[in-house]
Amino acid sequence: MGIIDMRDSRPIFEQISDWYRKLILQGVMAPDEKMPSVRNLAMELSTNPNTVQRAYADLEQKGFIYTVRGRGNFVCGGQDLVQQRKEEMVREIRVILDEGLSMGLDPRELALAALDTLQKSDGKGGQQ
Amino acid sequence: MIDIQNVSKSYEKIRAVHDVSLTLEDGQVFGLVGTNGAGKSTLLRLIAGILVPDQGQILVDGEPVYDNPAVRENIFFISDEPYFFPGSRAVDMKKWYKDLYPFFDTDRFDKLLKDFGLDPRRRIRTYSKGMRRQLAVICGICAGTRYLLCDETTDGLDPVMRQALKSLLGGDMEERGLTPVLASHNLRELEDICDHVGLLHQGGILLSQDIADMKLGLQKIQCVFTGEAPAELPGLEVVSHEARGRLHTYVVRSGREEAEAVFSQYSFVFYEILNLSLEEVFILETEAVGYDVKKFILG
Repeated sequence: MGIIDMRDSRPIFEQISDWYRKLILQGVMAPDEKMPSVRNLAMELSTNPNTVQRAYADLEQKGFIYTVRGRGNFVCGGQDLVQQRKEEMVREIRVILDEGLSMGLDPRELALAALDTLQKSDGKGGQQ
Repeated sequence: MIDIQNVSKSYEKIRAVHDVSLTLEDGQVFGLVGTNGAGKSTLLRLIAGILVPDQGQILVDGEPVYDNPAVRENIFFISDEPYFFPGSRAVDMKKWYKDLYPFFDTDRFDKLLKDFGLDPRRRIRTYSKGMRRQLAVICGICAGTRYLLCDETTDGLDPVMRQALKSLLGGDMEERGLTPVLASHNLRELEDICDHVGLLHQGGILLSQDIADMKLGLQKIQCVFTGEAPAELPGLEVVSHEARGRLHTYVVRSGREEAEAVFSQYSFVFYEILNLSLEEVFILETEAVGYDVKKFILG
């Protein structure tokens, strides 16, 4: 499984958290689907269960999963989160645009790149 | 909880462990790092109740460990040189440990031997070095103790076995509240699995901290200022500062938000907060107490 990459400088709990965040946003994990148990995930990843626990706490705090005492962790309903992530991405794109412009990148070039991406994904349709 | 209070141990003139105080919390992976000869094995043997401290005491849940069978049945020590009786086979060791450890899980032992491909009826002396280590690990895991002390256990195991060992430890922590204590000369080996790391050097503890806390308390910032770099960063304790051309690298002792607040007052061509590796944290923390750790824990 490609969740943990030892060369990645992010802490392991963050890598686990980001991985599931992506799966949930992409809809690979459906709302109310059960997350793997801490024990199973720790064994599968050969990592410390406290690290998995920390990743789950992080996901819970960010609103991606909820905990049912004695039953485990479950995926939260997705629409708000997807919306939230979309807004976040727009902000990220703005930051990148700003950086590009400050480096003297031609705004037309950026616009063309955006159009190109749109054309390529046309027909495939958005996943969300 | 294992409470080590001002423990010292010498072998004749050699001072192996000197005035060590440490607390090992239950449910956490404790990593003990230090060079060869730093006193790791001696400390583990003291914790296991195999050696008597010259001074100080070691308490497991408030009880001294030495000569105390009730405590010792909850501690298993996997030596860096596993010992098996001459001419014995895995089945013989199973019988022996079953008598010593009341919670020894024989079914699991048989199953793990099979999973690891070890023949229980072959003489152990005909096993390879790595196989003997695997057998020692299996004995330790199956002993059903609350504490498992591993002395350089991943040494001599291939990468697949290392992962398997970590996986077993992780499962047992969650399932039955096992507390592993891992000693190694290699910090990288411990980084990804430990909650807490103690650094042993020349018999004394230089540092004992939660990994998460250590990393949270230090920030590494790389930036290029628009214009001149400021002479100082008001309100931040700068641990190290390096300038390569216009690229400045700072390590400051503070939380992430505080650091960001101070840096946001400047204008940058480029600015980035980086993650510190445990290695870097260790180097910085031990430099602060006057040691150059680079040469003895990174290999």
